[in-house]
Amino acid sequence: MRLPTSIRWRLQLWLAFLLVGLLSGFGLTAFQLYRTNRLNQIDGELEQRLAAVAADVRRPPEGPRPLPGDRPAEGEPFRRGELRPHPPFDRGPGFPGFGRPGEPTERWLTNRTIDLSPATRALFDEADTNGFYYAIWFRGDLLLKCSTNAPPDLAAPRHGLGGRLVRAGFRAANREVFLGTEIGDCVLIGRPMQTDLAAMRRFALWLVVAGLAVLAVGLGGGWVIVTRAIRPVETISAAAARISAGNLAERIPVRESGSELGRLAGVLNTTFSRLETAFAQQRQFTADASHELRTPIAVLLSETQTALTRERSPSEYRETIEACQDTAQRMRRLTESLLELARFDAGQEAMQREPQDLAGLARDCAEAIRPLARDRKITLHTDLAPTPVEGDGDRLHQVIINLLTNAIHYNREAGEVRITTTVTGDVSVLRVTDTGPGIAPEDLPRLFHRFYRADPARARSQGRAGLGLAISQAIADAHGGSLEVESRVGEGTTFSLTLPAIEPAVETG
Amino acid sequence: MRILVVEDEPRLLRNLAKSLREAGYAVDTAETGDDGLFKALTYDYDAVVLDVMLPELDGWQVLEGLRAAKRTPVLMLTARDTTRDRVRGLDTGADDYLVKPFDLAELLARLRALIRRASGHGRSTIEIRDVVIDTRARTVQQSGNPVSLTAREYAILEYLALHRGEVVTRTALYEHLFDESEDTLSNLLDVHVFSIRRKLGADLIATRRGQGYCIES
Repeated sequence: MRLPTSIRWRLQLWLAFLLVGLLSGFGLTAFQLYRTNRLNQIDGELEQRLAAVAADVRRPPEGPRPLPGDRPAEGEPFRRGELRPHPPFDRGPGFPGFGRPGEPTERWLTNRTIDLSPATRALFDEADTNGFYYAIWFRGDLLLKCSTNAPPDLAAPRHGLGGRLVRAGFRAANREVFLGTEIGDCVLIGRPMQTDLAAMRRFALWLVVAGLAVLAVGLGGGWVIVTRAIRPVETISAAAARISAGNLAERIPVRESGSELGRLAGVLNTTFSRLETAFAQQRQFTADASHELRTPIAVLLSETQTALTRERSPSEYRETIEACQDTAQRMRRLTESLLELARFDAGQEAMQREPQDLAGLARDCAEAIRPLARDRKITLHTDLAPTPVEGDGDRLHQVIINLLTNAIHYNREAGEVRITTTVTGDVSVLRVTDTGPGIAPEDLPRLFHRFYRADPARARSQGRAGLGLAISQAIADAHGGSLEVESRVGEGTTFSLTLPAIEPAVETG
Repeated sequence: MRILVVEDEPRLLRNLAKSLREAGYAVDTAETGDDGLFKALTYDYDAVVLDVMLPELDGWQVLEGLRAAKRTPVLMLTARDTTRDRVRGLDTGADDYLVKPFDLAELLARLRALIRRASGHGRSTIEIRDVVIDTRARTVQQSGNPVSLTAREYAILEYLALHRGEVVTRTALYEHLFDESEDTLSNLLDVHVFSIRRKLGADLIATRRGQGYCIES
């Protein structure tokens, strides 16, 4: 049989096992105690009667005592106190000089009548006792006297008693005790036990019924408790199922934030929030990436479909092909940037670790960018102190060029771009400052987001996808540094590339 | 038919204008939202092709500005294709919606349908007595026989046929059939109408002296 997998049913099963075990232990003990007490009480009564009967049996009757070898007169009574002890008859009937059949004492013993004292008889009064009966045998099988209510199947005990009290226990439904006297009498006191046994059965039945009731109440209570206990789990499970089905905005309702399950729900909610953010970012990224690819594809389709509607002159074809080529180049740049970012995300982009001087790199970049600055009538200032860092020269070059290009593109007409390098404490900092319109504070956090562009349409028509800063930041991170921005609307923007300095400033200074 | 294309991607704009002109439309272009809204409000275009992502005013703002004054049919072009965007576009008052990248053939078909619907015609063919104008193939048949018209002659005939029963002024014809880049002579219109009458019969287009032309319903 497979055990049920639900926690609720498993707990119920364990509770049932536990309750049944406890209740049966308790019930059996109670029954045993009751039965023992009852039997002890009955046995006490039996023994009291046995003692009374035995005293009557032992009491010598009135009359002369037959002497061994004498022939006492018929009916001659023994004298009191002269009965000699009789050895137990299991020593054999031929004990020398005593107890041989036919001898006067023996005859007397065999034929005597036993009178019970009135007090003893009262003990066996059938009117107000529970049917106690007695029987007295001599020498094992000779029934001397028995009460009228004795059961017909009475039998003398099979073995000798020798003055010992034997608690014989049950014979059929009767409780009986025996006593063997010194002269060979055997006294049996019995009592029919039907009513007591029935009472015991009733008690047992009552115990079973009470046990079942307790079990039912226990299981019911257990069910309620387990239901209450696992309700939060079910709530969590249902919420998690809905979230898993796609509704990432769903949260688990937390009622008791202090309880174990409340804390679990809290942790799960935090996890779901992070998942939701990650999914949203991923979705946004995919949407942005596809959006960025849609426009060039639209150009390609439109160019080629127009060209194909009719015969064109060679110059028209050339124009179309050039347009397609430019567009394809743009798509290539975009996909390369995307791939680069994907490699950074996957941590696959290995950075070379070589000693570099940020000042030297900045000087090279400034020279490379000067023609562009000149085109836009922008003055380029440099203030470069040696800043030793460890890193990938090509990558750092890429970052600086990107920062300078942005500074030139987003500058005002005839503006300025200042590039400085400094070492502060154990960090090297490169700053690129422009005199552009600045970035609104609400846009600053999104600046490093992928595909973020201050002016989407204008930047796109200039062929920039909005991935440059995202890549630059990824490169800075991969160097163990950071890329930060400060901006004042109307005054300009400063980007700071911070990298760990390879030697402490004190030593280099 | 005169169409305004507002698109910030220069190559796409140039190419769309070229193919629309080749399809027989007079085409004006605008690269920014501001410029586009100004032109759309100034001239009576038969349709506007409007990109959503534009510098200065974006496509939504242009559309709102235009809808405040005119009912010119607008076909939105966008690279975003979420349902929310499409619903927003249609609710703001766009007549149709096309997601980039699109097929040129589809853009042309949608434009034809827009213009047809705007002038109250559901079908792509217009029948005037024994003359059948197929706006999709841009062909004309008379009593089952194809009649060869120049692009300009066809455009005049189609415009008059779409406004059947109305008197179309010469100014309206100029506005709708010639774009801003063309320098036209006023009597050129008469030359084209004369040519159409020669090919399809003199009584097809009536001249309302001092007012314009008309195709009787």
